[in-house]
Amino acid sequence: MGNNVKSLKKRRDNRRVFLLLLPITLFAIAFVYFPFIRTIINAFSKVNSKGVVKGFAGLENFIYTYSRKDFLPALRHTLTIALVNVPLTLVITLSLALLSEKKRKFSSVYETMFTLPMSVSMSASCMIFKSMFSPSVGFINYFFSLKLGWFESSDTALFSCIILTVWMGIGFDYLLMLSALRGIPKSVMEATKVDGISLPRRIFFVEIPLISPTIFYIFCTNLVLCMMTSAPMIIIMGVSAESSATNTLMSMMYQSGFSSSDYGLAAVLSLTAFVLTLLFTILSFMTERRRVHYEA
Amino acid sequence: MKRKKKDFLFDTLVTLIASFLGIIIIFPLIYCFLSSFKTPSEFLNPKLLPSSFLYLDNFKNALERGNLLRYTLNSFIIAFIGTVVRMVLSILAAYAFTFYDFKGKNFFFFLILGTMMIPGDVLLVTNYLTVSKLHLLNTYLGVMIVSFVSASQMFMLRQRFKTIPKDMREASSMDGYGDLWFILKVLLPLSKPVVTTLFVQSFINLWNAYLWPLIVTASSPEMRTVMVGITRLNSWEDENYQLVMAGVCISLIPSIILFIIMRRNMKKGGLDGSLVG
Repeated sequence: MGNNVKSLKKRRDNRRVFLLLLPITLFAIAFVYFPFIRTIINAFSKVNSKGVVKGFAGLENFIYTYSRKDFLPALRHTLTIALVNVPLTLVITLSLALLSEKKRKFSSVYETMFTLPMSVSMSASCMIFKSMFSPSVGFINYFFSLKLGWFESSDTALFSCIILTVWMGIGFDYLLMLSALRGIPKSVMEATKVDGISLPRRIFFVEIPLISPTIFYIFCTNLVLCMMTSAPMIIIMGVSAESSATNTLMSMMYQSGFSSSDYGLAAVLSLTAFVLTLLFTILSFMTERRRVHYEA
Repeated sequence: MKRKKKDFLFDTLVTLIASFLGIIIIFPLIYCFLSSFKTPSEFLNPKLLPSSFLYLDNFKNALERGNLLRYTLNSFIIAFIGTVVRMVLSILAAYAFTFYDFKGKNFFFFLILGTMMIPGDVLLVTNYLTVSKLHLLNTYLGVMIVSFVSASQMFMLRQRFKTIPKDMREASSMDGYGDLWFILKVLLPLSKPVVTTLFVQSFINLWNAYLWPLIVTASSPEMRTVMVGITRLNSWEDENYQLVMAGVCISLIPSIILFIIMRRNMKKGGLDGSLVG
């Protein structure tokens, strides 16, 4: 009897769980896993301009992509943006967080200023920077009496893109750093005061090791962001596809997917960016084991 | 006494330096705000301040000629409905994961969390093909549909739900109340700070989205979102930056207001660190 009721309840529960989980699972499969698998399939297939698979292509798409003249520059730009941006953002946000760690009378004022960039969308910040750094009417050239072309000259375009990506990342990363620093137990900080440890020593030997999990988290998320989300910026900044000084893997993917409907090429490019990002992340996780402290 | 004075001086110095750096960081926003009041001829002279703050033609032109009014409405519909659907899906799933035990629980949990591992940009082209096959191009649903799953949101809700004693649900189900009643009357009121933060965060995210709306609404200018709209303001006449800046100001109003609400909410709920993830 009791068993029967139990199994009845169990069956009812299972039906409910099914209904509760169905919607999110359905969308996860339809709009994340299915397209991901399809991207992998596309990379190894002959795909026509309507996106229909027309047979197996082996490594043809890969060879075609990697031997293109614009592939290596795009790869170089992607890596440059990531390798400059990630450490720069870490240093900037960590310094800002250390500066504002202690709660002071007006700290909420500058905390808000430091975090505000995170509410600004990518396209809005691109437009602001495009105008501010405009060679002819921009404020930056005027204020510093410079004659640089910034986004519009091929010598400085990549550099300008890095300024922009760093700016966009500051807000959120600063917030994470700050809450990590403020989360350090008071007893630890008091102990360093009693022991009379100097400020630089305290920062480098106590605080930074203690918040290393957060630093590592910011490192990884930034890396992924830099590698994967550069396309809108390059598109908005209006640098054309072929002669571009800033073309990245993802903006090249966008061009090949939506301007020339070359879905094989697009699939190979997005997979390449994805695998590279994954490799970097795995590498950082391997070094993390030795470097990051999780106690306290 | 002497030490106190030294501390005070040090704090003032730090405050000054921090405020100065803060102004540099928000300078682009200040610049954008000031420039939006400039007349076209004033803009050619790259000074910071406009001659008067009463020149509102840029805003008027952006809203009317640039069709930004319509785009703002589009963005609002997409961000609002998209967020609501996203929240409903996440709440249902988080509820199932917290209060039920079932076969394959771990499998489904990691199936959903696994979506975080795949960056959306990789899926751009294939999702576009799917959406166009479903005849959802140039529709609100087409813009929203790819963002209905948010694993991080689901995860955060589950973390919150876990702190609520399971007895409460048993008590309510003994009284004959169903799952829905429990979610609406007990779970959500108890998790209000988290739910609000996630709602605001998700709204800002969808409001700020650029690439996907651009692709899906490419052939129908009427359906563009505000973030796509502002990048088109200076294409019909060259270097119309004062107009663009006015458009950017308009597009920033909701996200900055919500951002300030969220910051307050997080501080009140002691959730400053819970954004990680």
